[in-house]
Amino acid sequence: MLFEVVHATTYQYAETAMEAYLETRLTPPTRPTQQILSHRIEFLPAAQASDYIDYFGNLTSFYSMTLRHPRLKVVNSLTVRTATHRLPAGGLAPSVAEARQILASSGPRIFDYLQPTATVPLGGPSSNWAREFIRPNLPLGDCLERLNSAIFSEFKYHSGSTEVDTPLDKIWERREGVCQDFAHVMLSVLRTAGIPCRYVCGYIETEPAAGGPLIGAVATHAWVEVLVPGMEWVALDPTNNKWQGEQHIVVAVGRDYLDATPVKGTFKGSASQKMKVRVTMRRIPEKP
Amino acid sequence: MSALWHFRTFDENFGPDGQPREVYRDLFERLNRLPRHEVRALDGRLEATMREMGVTFDIHRELPWCKRGWFCDLLPQIFTPAEWDPLAAGIRQRLRAFEMFLQDIHSKKQILLDGILPERPVLGSEYFQRAACGVPAPGGAFLHLSGVAVCRLPDGQLAVKHHYFSNASGISYMMQNRRALTRVIPQSFQDTGIHSISDVPTGIVEMLRAHSDDADPMVVLLTPGPLSPAYSEHCFLGRRMGIPLVQGGDLLVLNDKVYLKTVAGLSKVDVIYTRLSDRWLDPMAFRRDSMIGVPGLVHCIRKKSVSVVNAIGAQLADDRALLPFSAQIIRYYLAERPLLPTVPTYWLGDIDQRQMVLDDLQNFTIRILYGERIVLGGDGNLPSHEKLEAARAEILKNPALFVAQPQSCDAETISFQDGDRRRRRQDHIIFALRETGGDLCVFPGALTRVSTTESEFTSSELGGGSKDTWVQAGADSQPDEWDSAHQADGQIPTHGVTSRVAEAYYWIGRYLERAYDLAGMIGAIESLELEELNPVERMNYRPVWNRILPMLEVAGSASRRTISNPEGRYRLTFDPSEPGSVLSTIHRAFANAESVLETLSLEAWGVMSQLREKFDAVAFDPAAPTETLAAASRELCLFARQAIPQFFGTSKVTMLADDGWSFCEIGQLIERAAITANATTSLSASLVDLSRDRHGPHAREIRLSAFLRMLGSRDIYRRVYQMRIEPLPMLELLWKNPVAPRSVLRCLTGCASRIRESESNLSPATGRALAAIEALQQSIRSTDWETLLENLPAGSAKSKLQAHSEDLLARLLALHTTICDSFLNHQVLIHGETESLF
Repeated sequence: MLFEVVHATTYQYAETAMEAYLETRLTPPTRPTQQILSHRIEFLPAAQASDYIDYFGNLTSFYSMTLRHPRLKVVNSLTVRTATHRLPAGGLAPSVAEARQILASSGPRIFDYLQPTATVPLGGPSSNWAREFIRPNLPLGDCLERLNSAIFSEFKYHSGSTEVDTPLDKIWERREGVCQDFAHVMLSVLRTAGIPCRYVCGYIETEPAAGGPLIGAVATHAWVEVLVPGMEWVALDPTNNKWQGEQHIVVAVGRDYLDATPVKGTFKGSASQKMKVRVTMRRIPEKP
Repeated sequence: MSALWHFRTFDENFGPDGQPREVYRDLFERLNRLPRHEVRALDGRLEATMREMGVTFDIHRELPWCKRGWFCDLLPQIFTPAEWDPLAAGIRQRLRAFEMFLQDIHSKKQILLDGILPERPVLGSEYFQRAACGVPAPGGAFLHLSGVAVCRLPDGQLAVKHHYFSNASGISYMMQNRRALTRVIPQSFQDTGIHSISDVPTGIVEMLRAHSDDADPMVVLLTPGPLSPAYSEHCFLGRRMGIPLVQGGDLLVLNDKVYLKTVAGLSKVDVIYTRLSDRWLDPMAFRRDSMIGVPGLVHCIRKKSVSVVNAIGAQLADDRALLPFSAQIIRYYLAERPLLPTVPTYWLGDIDQRQMVLDDLQNFTIRILYGERIVLGGDGNLPSHEKLEAARAEILKNPALFVAQPQSCDAETISFQDGDRRRRRQDHIIFALRETGGDLCVFPGALTRVSTTESEFTSSELGGGSKDTWVQAGADSQPDEWDSAHQADGQIPTHGVTSRVAEAYYWIGRYLERAYDLAGMIGAIESLELEELNPVERMNYRPVWNRILPMLEVAGSASRRTISNPEGRYRLTFDPSEPGSVLSTIHRAFANAESVLETLSLEAWGVMSQLREKFDAVAFDPAAPTETLAAASRELCLFARQAIPQFFGTSKVTMLADDGWSFCEIGQLIERAAITANATTSLSASLVDLSRDRHGPHAREIRLSAFLRMLGSRDIYRRVYQMRIEPLPMLELLWKNPVAPRSVLRCLTGCASRIRESESNLSPATGRALAAIEALQQSIRSTDWETLLENLPAGSAKSKLQAHSEDLLARLLALHTTICDSFLNHQVLIHGETESLF
């Protein structure tokens, strides 16, 4: 499918800011599942920005604005053609116990994706879920699907119910959250069960032509990638109880939300700022 | 012998036979010949010398000027060449191995892939910075200036206790100890062949300069600021190396380059010697909440526009969990036998080691992996049952956070106090430099840390003291003299003060002037209230007060208070929740002064502290009886009227007349001009009524007199005009009198001359600021107040006088922006390089 996405992030300051520094992870990677036809990041006020590849492989842009300015805007525009991901049968068929065994040999390469982070602690309620859904003797693929639908049905999607820093404990307690919380819950359960996985930030088409609306925020979407034997990543979207499909566009990955935050900034001179995010994703009809 | 401690440790000075060891024999003989009072006198001189040199290690952070003097002992530590040379070789070997380890972990992680080390203590370390992977290290190396803590095992063997590879903290104290001891007992140095350490700063700055391609690179020392306990060390190093000492706020990142903000403009920075821990260095890459770092710095390193020493990520080598693996790391990377043993160290994240330690807990020192905190032991004593159990509970909560080392590892030594010999425990920190060619040079000296009366710990953070450390020159090497030529401080760099410092001074000037004027007005009203005013006078005074005072408050202040009763005036003086109160204004001035503490003179700081203390001592209670409120306002406003000029006067005679001070005066003058202009403008509307004699000449006189009294200018008016108060002369006095202290014109002339005077202001910004000031001066001079006063309209229409006053006021207030943009935040200079806004 062909999509056009415009993702605008605006910071409105309480007072005029003197210095602003932004780091954006907004460049979608080229993958078998997505082909980038065009991409542009625009900063306002305009200033030089430069790129680097971060530890998790995301193309990151750094922008500094040292002139007094009342607000700051980042517009990410892209045209992407997506394709369905063929699930690696070989990676999903082994039992959980086998998969763990095979992956363990990758040592330092998967270390990060098994560790707790400040945002995604392990254990606690995740232990029970790990025991319940990630059974050592069942095929990994089945276990992942069961966990995905369990999160989908046990947790209520409730836009605006949480903040970016609502702790995971609270999410478990309230059983409601936004896509980011769904992803963090899934990461916590999988890592507790010893399955390496990472956070994905991206876009999702929310008003598809047919088949009912998919849930995203009117902002960016989040889901989870799991590393399976054969060192391949497979992606599940617990907010929508689906595998990643043609309606998903991957933008950035990391251990949790903080690693893959689309836009983060440091500001000087203003006591506070309000961030507003707006994403529009439009499907472009293609001739067969 | 060691009845003081429960653990049998090696005796540094005496052999098993109770006689001084060979190396100390001469020194002891000499000391034994001295009568006790002379030893005490020497000791006193040493302490006084340390204070005089300003050497402090401040562990009581809340008392900026009550810094703890640095303790250096009369009796030095001596290393013989036979002991030193293998020690230095061992340190070099370890540094080589850990350099390779850091490079490996930040790239391929081969040592982990080969299964030599477990992943957890490495990749799970709080010091492992993912953001440092793939970022170029200066000269391709992580470690350039390193420290290592060494102590004696019970059999006397020297062993590594801890790595300070990423941060050579204490290196200045090593030098200061030597400087102090050579001054106090110079004869000891003349007949003992010991290695000099006087060229250490030169070595460091040469190394730093080599990390830039520029022939004359800009090198700075980045400090967390005066609240860091080692701030005195940072100042010393900056001074001795002749490089600016800067804080995060002094630097900014623009177009992938780092700049130092000075009042003369932006100056590109090439090399940064950082004394900030990685995690505070850049809020974009590390801890998001860091206020002391430089946002974007890591990106500039990545783009190779700046070198940061030591390299980011180097701290990983200092994680105590790696100590037990030191031998493996040396063997793996160098294929050599380790030359220098490590103190037996157990990482409690390992279940077997944990069990062993917990079974025998009383005999161990328990430390956290990061920082200097000691959980248990470390003082040579068997811990109490309570301490043991508390430590056990803490360990079990998160065992992977702790390491254990045997308590018996520090040596015992003699230390002098009040002329008496005391038994102390000691260890050493030794420093090494990676030279430009890649050779490692271990400085022939050390910071020997000793326990003191006030602390059983050796660590400076925990209250320990120190000894000078002599490394004897071998037969083959030339013993150096302490070269006094090297003692001179480096050239103070010519960039002048940084914009951050100038800005803080500017605000000190503004806030203090504001507090001074406000206190003057409140005080004037309080004393008028004491004078028996008749109702007519009262009626005529009030509107003037009410019109002027609110102008002084911060715009947007929530409440528009009345000042016509004592409670209102009391609130305006003391209310801490009122942003415009005298108290709040003084607090702001104080906060700015605190941020540039290192540049203030002790005397000026004393006046400032006293002012604040006096105001803080008043318990805010607006419900108290009216007389109490009035008395408190009167007394403290009077005090502020004395203390604030005292601050300016004292500063002027005790401080460098540099850009910092100029900006304090500029701030003061701008504020005074603004208050005068503001008050005069606010009065211009009512001058319509007044000049029409609606209330009679007596009422007018009273009102104008009240007005001038509020501005502290009534007596000046009388001296200048020697006539009753009339609107025209009053306006001329306040706007354009060339000698009246409050006149707007005079304040502006003062600002212009301060800007012109300061020699480092060679930037184009100077011209721009001066042009703005001169244009305004010209407008004020050419204003025909008489005509303006004559053309007053009837009714509610805005008079020409009012419109003109408002215009002048607006231009005056805009000067603030011009000055800030030109000297303090560099809006002007940057403007040319970037596109326009929106």
